[in-house]
Amino acid sequence: MSDVFFLVLRRLRAPLILLICVYALATLGMTLIPGLDDSDQVYYLTVFQAFYFVSYMGTTIGFGELPYEFTNYQRAWVLVCIYTSVIAWLYAIGSVLRLLQDDTFLAAVSQHVFRRNIRRIDRGFYIICGYGETGSLVAQGLAALELKIVIVDINDERTRSLELESLKIEPIILNADITEPKTLIDAGINNPLCDGVIAVTESDHTNLKIAVAAKLVNPNVTVICRSEIEDEAKNMASFGTDVIVNPYLTFGRRLHLLCDNPQLHRVHTWFINQHSTEHIDERVRLKGLPKGKWIICGFGRFGKAVNHYLQRDEFEVVVVDPDPIKSFAPNNAVVGRGTEAETLIEAGIKDAAVVVAASDDDANNLSVLITARQLNPEIFTVGRVSREADHTLFVRAKCDYIMRGSQVVANEALTVISRPLVTKFLQYSNCLTQEDTNLLVDRICALSPNNDPITWRLQIDQQHAPAIVETLSQGIEITIRQICEHDDFPRNRAIPLLLLRDGMSHILPDQSQRLEPNDELLVCASREHTLLAQRLSHDIELVDTVINNNTHRIPLFRWLRRQRTA
Amino acid sequence: MHFEKVIFAFFIILALSLNFSFFVGDLDNPEHHHIFELACALVASLICTVMKFGDRSYFGSTVLASSLVAVLMLIATSTAWFFMDLFATQTAAMATISSLAGGALVANILSVILLIMETGQLRR
Repeated sequence: MSDVFFLVLRRLRAPLILLICVYALATLGMTLIPGLDDSDQVYYLTVFQAFYFVSYMGTTIGFGELPYEFTNYQRAWVLVCIYTSVIAWLYAIGSVLRLLQDDTFLAAVSQHVFRRNIRRIDRGFYIICGYGETGSLVAQGLAALELKIVIVDINDERTRSLELESLKIEPIILNADITEPKTLIDAGINNPLCDGVIAVTESDHTNLKIAVAAKLVNPNVTVICRSEIEDEAKNMASFGTDVIVNPYLTFGRRLHLLCDNPQLHRVHTWFINQHSTEHIDERVRLKGLPKGKWIICGFGRFGKAVNHYLQRDEFEVVVVDPDPIKSFAPNNAVVGRGTEAETLIEAGIKDAAVVVAASDDDANNLSVLITARQLNPEIFTVGRVSREADHTLFVRAKCDYIMRGSQVVANEALTVISRPLVTKFLQYSNCLTQEDTNLLVDRICALSPNNDPITWRLQIDQQHAPAIVETLSQGIEITIRQICEHDDFPRNRAIPLLLLRDGMSHILPDQSQRLEPNDELLVCASREHTLLAQRLSHDIELVDTVINNNTHRIPLFRWLRRQRTA
Repeated sequence: MHFEKVIFAFFIILALSLNFSFFVGDLDNPEHHHIFELACALVASLICTVMKFGDRSYFGSTVLASSLVAVLMLIATSTAWFFMDLFATQTAAMATISSLAGGALVANILSVILLIMETGQLRR
């Protein structure tokens, strides 16, 4: 407020002083020049009369000559006054208009609006640093979850597109340099309602700076960082950054999982990609990628990450890179881009199982995928997309599995933010056996026929599940099976995935286990129907019906039911 | 020499002098107080106030405050002059007008003192 106010006042100094001087002189002149009244007696205007006349002369011109008609001397002075006062007014209005277009003024106004918006936030919010492809995906995801977001980006061209994107919750935008700690404080990191900072700028170093500054300014805030370089990631971790997402390693892990245990990969895909689905061929999704000979074209950060996860006996990796020595490629590397048939044939494309187009150039990657398909129609292809806009081209090229760095980061970050138990479940899911996984996938498929399950967290506490807490406090035992499935509600069944009790996670808990207060239960269910557990948590009558078998029915239905069973 | 400072000092001292010249004389004698002196004092005070608009320094804002007081007092004086007919006698009206102007004079004196103090600080 004060900035804008003072700026306006300071800019208005000169025009106001000019106006005062012109009015004072005009008034003085009017009082000094003698006039003649009706009876041709000399009279002088009083100061008040003169000021009254000058006031309406300056603004309207044409109220008449008061209190008596003017003499020619008076009229000559009025003429001078009219022109000077018009000029003074034009100057004053002109400076106000110029001020409204002034960059300093506009910056002060937008700063003021931003601060006011930050002060008025009434719920938890996240600060997104960097509004690129990742930032925009994260913003959409958070807005869909009805969370408030503050977006900070130095480039106002990028944030301008936000106005067109009509998000569910209006984001607060700040165009400032996020590497300055002051910007983070402006963005409200010290606000007790601030839940977290998400650093997804293009540069790893900037993300590191944000992580450090955020943790130093407010150690309690959750910091989620994108990092593509191992060293920077370690550095971030040493500052207590809560979550570090490396899109290449994450995707490498997923590729590895797709070869080793495609069913578990399916489970991961269901639960992580709740906000935007990744492109994966149906055949690959169900059967996984074959082991054997893999060709990696481009040995950059992504190529290295994939190679890292393939270092086992079942895989034979051939690297194709334009400069294998510079990029520290393995010894059997083939020199070339992989866009030409010769290079790919030299790398052994004819008997290869999978080709990974891993360079950072979308055009080259597309060329690799198409050439590889031509040489070996049976080959599986994995492509990396750097620019979001090129994604459709990769889909057209029938790429089997497409890696979009921004999507990987956004989905990871959103899962961590909105479904912490899912993250825990996915971490522990790696210790599930093949049979367990197959069983789980079959159950989920049976539950959600169109393969679109959702997860839901049941917190057994007074705020989230008053009905269940009350029943438990009466000494009545409730098992997990009882709240997850019931014969009367065949469509509202759920599969318990994880039970969190006293900080201990129990993956796929035993159905006969009893619930205790302060438990947290992660269940998986079909998207179309309300969960039984969800209905139970607030409906004490339903709890009575389902758990204690005390039917609360309308008498007519009770009678009908008795007729049917009889 | 700072041109803006000269102009400001000129106007604030002018305001004080005009105010004093209006105030000086018998309190209730209309012949000792002229309306032009009052009008000029008001204009000079107004200019002083506007010149301190948007000044965020400590002295600047205090001077702004005291000159605002002076302007308000002088406007009150002018209003009293305008409604002179409503008073019982002309001397009573004149006494009110002069004492109001005296109040404005105090505010103007304070402004000048603040100006002198600010100048003194600059020296050091």
